[in-house]
Amino acid sequence: MPNIQHLLDVFLKSMPLFLKGALLTLELSATSLLIGLVIGLFFAFLSLSKSAVLKAISTFYITIVRGTPLIVQIFVLYFGLTDLIKMSSFMAATLALAFHNGAYISEIFRGAIQSIDHGQYEAAKSLGMNNLLTYKRIILPQAFLRAIPSLGNQFIIALKDSSLAAFISMDELFNIATTQGSNNFDQMTYLVIVAFYYLLMVMILSFLVGKVETKLKKSGAT
Amino acid sequence: MALLSAQNIHKNFGQLEVLKGIDLEVQAGEVICLIGASGSGKSTFLRCLNYLELPTDGIINYQGTPIDPKVTNLNQVRSSMGMVFQHFNLFPHMSVLENIIEAPIKVQKIKRSEAIQIANRLLEKVGLSDKAKEYPARLSGGQKQRVAIARALAMDPKLMLFDEPTSALDPETVESVLNVMKQLVNDGMTMIIVTHEISFARAVADRICFLHEGKILEEGSPCELLDSPKNARTQEFLKSVIA
Repeated sequence: MPNIQHLLDVFLKSMPLFLKGALLTLELSATSLLIGLVIGLFFAFLSLSKSAVLKAISTFYITIVRGTPLIVQIFVLYFGLTDLIKMSSFMAATLALAFHNGAYISEIFRGAIQSIDHGQYEAAKSLGMNNLLTYKRIILPQAFLRAIPSLGNQFIIALKDSSLAAFISMDELFNIATTQGSNNFDQMTYLVIVAFYYLLMVMILSFLVGKVETKLKKSGAT
Repeated sequence: MALLSAQNIHKNFGQLEVLKGIDLEVQAGEVICLIGASGSGKSTFLRCLNYLELPTDGIINYQGTPIDPKVTNLNQVRSSMGMVFQHFNLFPHMSVLENIIEAPIKVQKIKRSEAIQIANRLLEKVGLSDKAKEYPARLSGGQKQRVAIARALAMDPKLMLFDEPTSALDPETVESVLNVMKQLVNDGMTMIIVTHEISFARAVADRICFLHEGKILEEGSPCELLDSPKNARTQEFLKSVIA
């Protein structure tokens, strides 16, 4: 283990570089999660549809994502996509992570939508609401509220998983740590520092999710 | 002309034949109570009237036109038939006021300010003016059901369907809901009520129908049906619920 004085020195000296990396990590995670939410909602609806074909498409997608390692997905999508269309590694990494998280998010949404009591649909129907209105105003808002704890959890996983983008040469947190570590022949110090950054971000995220949850509970809306 | 007439309504759930040909005519302003043992089909029949359940066979005429689910806009039909459920089915993510103004604004497209006015008037009617901003989770069962009634009334329905509105309530809150319903009867609202509250049925109904195994076995005025039932099954049922 590096001694504390040394660790602090390196920590302060490397801070500008790591903050830049942290920003990129956050951008990467946030963008891929945003796209992942859209993908997730879309596939949740496919898996809830009455059509066997649509259901099968959704099952296929989820099986592939869950059944293969994220790093393999990132490589396949990175080399596959950059082969087909010109795009930055940020774009490729974002899409790969969105593709990955979308599957888990779709399962979260599916579960949340299915957990809404059937009486809610009937009440909406009995008031003359059509399907679109029923989902938009009654079912999805409740499903989103119920999904928040699981989504928060998935966001934390996604934030940490974004470190794998280092392998397609994204200069995010983890890549900075390994590059600096080997340049300075001091891997352990930089790994401890990068762990600290991830931990800090995850703790902030957990805190925010917790806040939202308590607020919802207090309002009695869930 | 009848406001609603149902002819020969059948409903099967798979192999199970729940309704075996029910006929019912409802005149505007009439209050009809459906009674019978659990499983007799009264709730299923009520749910067929606004097509929450699709009848397997039979015709329903509403306001002079037959309902054909392939042609008729069912949402439009439902928006003029209020329904009150046993388990309230309030929208938990909306306040009491929002629950009431949601459908008038989104379905009937009336102005928000107007909808709020209507909602406030209805909340006063059901005695819950002070609860407008509360969420349903903070209300008692009786209060929830009164909000549900206000929500249905906000659509200005021509007919109100009540599906065992007091069955899920604590005994001490039943009265508050029945009082609101009595008020509706006095206002001249057309109502079809599935209920186990025999004394309430006696007080408000113009006609009581006794259902047994998917058929209306006997119907008549409260006096006729409750005091001198002709059918042996009706007698048996009444003995079991009144005793």
